[in-house]
Formats: sequence, C-alpha cells, structure tokens
Amino acid sequence: MTTHFVNLLEELRRRAARMASLVEDMVQEACESVIDANEALAGRVIRRDNDVDTEEVAVESEVIRLMALYQPVGSDLRLLCAVLKINNDLERIADCAVNVAERARHMERGTLARHRATVTEMATFVRTMLRNAVQSFAVEDVDMARKAFAEEEHVDALYEQIIKQIVAEGATSSEGMAARLDVLSVAKNLERIADHATNIAEDVIFLATGEIVRHTDGVPLSSEG
Amino acid sequence: MVSETRLDLKEAGVPARISPSGKEQDALSPRAEVSEAVIRADGVTIRYGEFAAVRDVTLDIPDRQVTAIIGPSGCGKSTLLRAINRMNDFIPSMSLSGLLTYRGADIYAPKSDPVDLRRRIGMVFQKPNPFPKTIFKNVAWGATINGYRGDIHELVERSLRQAALWDEVKDKLHQSAFALSGGQQQRLCIARAIALQPDVLLMDEPCSALDPIATAKIEDLIGELKAHYTVILVTHNMQQAARVSDLTAFMYMGELIEFDVTYRIFTKPSKQRTQDYITGRFG
Repeated sequence: MTTHFVNLLEELRRRAARMASLVEDMVQEACESVIDANEALAGRVIRRDNDVDTEEVAVESEVIRLMALYQPVGSDLRLLCAVLKINNDLERIADCAVNVAERARHMERGTLARHRATVTEMATFVRTMLRNAVQSFAVEDVDMARKAFAEEEHVDALYEQIIKQIVAEGATSSEGMAARLDVLSVAKNLERIADHATNIAEDVIFLATGEIVRHTDGVPLSSEG
Repeated sequence: MVSETRLDLKEAGVPARISPSGKEQDALSPRAEVSEAVIRADGVTIRYGEFAAVRDVTLDIPDRQVTAIIGPSGCGKSTLLRAINRMNDFIPSMSLSGLLTYRGADIYAPKSDPVDLRRRIGMVFQKPNPFPKTIFKNVAWGATINGYRGDIHELVERSLRQAALWDEVKDKLHQSAFALSGGQQQRLCIARAIALQPDVLLMDEPCSALDPIATAKIEDLIGELKAHYTVILVTHNMQQAARVSDLTAFMYMGELIEFDVTYRIFTKPSKQRTQDYITGRFG
C-alpha cells in the first residue's frame, strides 16, 4: 500500500513537471510570436491552452483523490499541497501566454518596433524566472527556487519603463492608442507570468523545507497552525 | 546514542494555562509563558532483564496538554508510559536508571508511595476493563476505598459528565457496567480514573478496541479533558495523534527520536526516521 502510494506520488510529480514543461513552451512561443510578429505561432499557443486546462483539472482531481484516500503527512502532504498550488499557477501562466499570443495576432508593427527592445528584454527575464522556478520544482532545489526571485525586480522595472513610455507617447499623440494598449497588455501579462513564477518558487521552498515564505521577501513566516 | 534532549516548550510555542503569578493566560497566545513540566524524564533507561526497552530518554511533558507517544510496535512507548505511574513494578525483571520525576519528585525514590502516585497519575488501558459491578459503583469504588468524605453521588455525576457519559447512563446507574457498549465502557473507565481527581491521565491505546464512532467520542473527550488534566497518550494511530495531541514524541527501538509540537511532527519533522515513519516508509 505504501509502495503503491509512493508510486502514485511520483507519477503525480512527473505529471506536474510535464505540465510545467508544456506551459514553459507556451510562454516561449507566445513571446516569440509577439517579437517576431508570427501569427501562426500565436495560433499554436492559443490552441494548446485546452490541453493545459484539461491537465489542470486532472492533476487537481488526482491530488484530492490522494489526500482523501491516503491522508498524507510530512513531505507527502507538502508535495500534494505544493502540486495543487503550482498546478493552479501553471494554468494561470498558460492563460497569460494566450493573452500575449492574442495580442501578437493584430499587433501594429510600427508601434511594436519602438518597444521591441524593452519587451524582448522583459520576456528574457520572465522566461529565465519561469525556467528556474520549474526546474527547481523538478529537482526540489531551494537555491534554484531562490534564483527565480532574483529577476523579479528587473521585470517590474521594465514593466514600469514600458508604462512610462506609453504614457509619454500618449501625451504627444492620441493616434495609435489601440496599438500602444496592445504593447501594454503584453507587458502586463509578462509581469503576471513573473508573479506566478515567483509563487511556484515559493511553493518549492515550502515543499523542500516546510517554510512558508510568501509575503515575506524570502523570510519564513511563523507557520504554526 | 543519546536520544533527543528535552524540547524547549516555550520555544516550541506550547501555550501556558497558568502563569507563575497564577493568572490564566490566553491559550491562543502561542508564545505565552509556559508552565513547567509535570513529568520529566532525564536519561531514563528501562530494562527487562538485559534487554533495554527504553534507552536514555530525556523529555519534559508539559502541564494541561495532550502529549502523544507514537512509534512502531516494540519501540518502548508503552513501557515508558507505564513507568510513569510504576505499572511496570509488577514485572520482576524490570529495572530503571536515570531520573523520572513527577512535579519535581523522584517517582522511583525509595520513599515514593506507588499507590499514592497512581491516585495522582491515573491510567486508561487498551481494552475497557470495568469492574463486575454497577456503573455507579465502578466510578465510586476508588474514591470510596480511599476514604472520600464528600458527596459521593455528586462525585459520580461530575466524573460521568466529564467523561461525556452522564446523559447516556444517568437512568441506569445501578445496572451492570458490562451492559454498556465498548465505547461506553471505555468512557466509564475514564470516569473511574477521573473520580480519583488525578493530575495526570495516562492512556495506553485507549481506542484500539473501539469502532470509529466510539473512537471519535473518546477523541473529543481527550480534547476536553486537557482543560483539567495532563494527558499522555500512547497510540499506534498516527492520525489520532495528529488530531488530538498538542505535542508528539516519536520513539524507535527504545530511543526518543524526535519530540516536538504535533503540527511540526506531521508537516516538517526534523529527523529522517520520523519522516519515514509518519509517511509509512517503515514500521
């Protein structure tokens, strides 16, 4: 029975890691679809969202089933709690990737050109954060999870920079406002992906150590019940 | 190997009920002042002949808390529990070294009176063991033979109420205790222990012979009893330890491996052997 449960947990862990990999690919392709104005790639990202939604429900059902049937404790309990939360963040990241891809379908190229460098830089940081967070889950590595936090302030700074640029452009000309809002939407969704990646990294720290580091700048809150 | 040293109760967040000044503390304030240990084991080793069933155990059991002792069969948890009110004295080959104290007094001092000790430290066993007498006499018996001078009817009612049994038996107090269900018999045994107005209640697998509904009633009762008594519970059932105890001690092969607040033991134990046991990797 215990061996069976351990095998089920490992299968769940692999399943969550596979979903993370799929979502990571979606983010990568969504960023490329915007930066390279690749509509075909954008369409592919949008179509894959259904797979993530289906998998999210399946993983959540399996977590609930294992909790109900095996009443896990210790590291097993932490794994199920972490998977439940990471699963939710991955689904939200996929939604953000779809939002980015949808903007790519009708992005006005002239407007994008003025912001391409900043968006590209932001996308690079966000993908690095997500990579570190997902990888830290796969190998349950706290140091790698903490690395995922490191890029967050760069992402926030770039997001702020894009907002300022767009506000400044809007002050000089009201033309092309829709296109500027598309760029803003892309930046906003990238910033959200970074937030979700941070959540995942925090859940990996909980998984590995039992410490809840949310809302604390990495310092554990008292986690007593 | 020396077993885990005693848990710093204050550091562990064990709430106090009574401060040194005698004022009641808010039990929800986890870092409140902590009352001192009721039972203290200091390097306790218990042998049956040559075999050491408990090895060099050091721990403090805090006042008015439920402390669970868990571990696989043969780990020494029942031996340690029974040593606290000298139930092991009946085993001729038993010997104890180290210091085991009850409120600062050496339990095994030559002048220590085991009968008096057992009045203060009551015990509830694995199987309900009512006397072949009426329900009333089961509860009144201990107090009567100890020369209780108060209102015996009031004592019986209060004890049965505290054991959450009064409403079920108030109309049949003079029927045989054997007519009760297993769960009721176990609560009767708890009422019998309570009637002696003990300070500490030792419970050795009190629910192992009961069905889930009777178990739930005993577990609820344990939660209520800790307002008045220090409860030490030996259990095979880890979910039960998790549900009802404030602190949990994990023993393995006679050694105390880990002793901590229950929440931590069941979410992030600090020792790998504890982790392996609670998650069913062994035992």
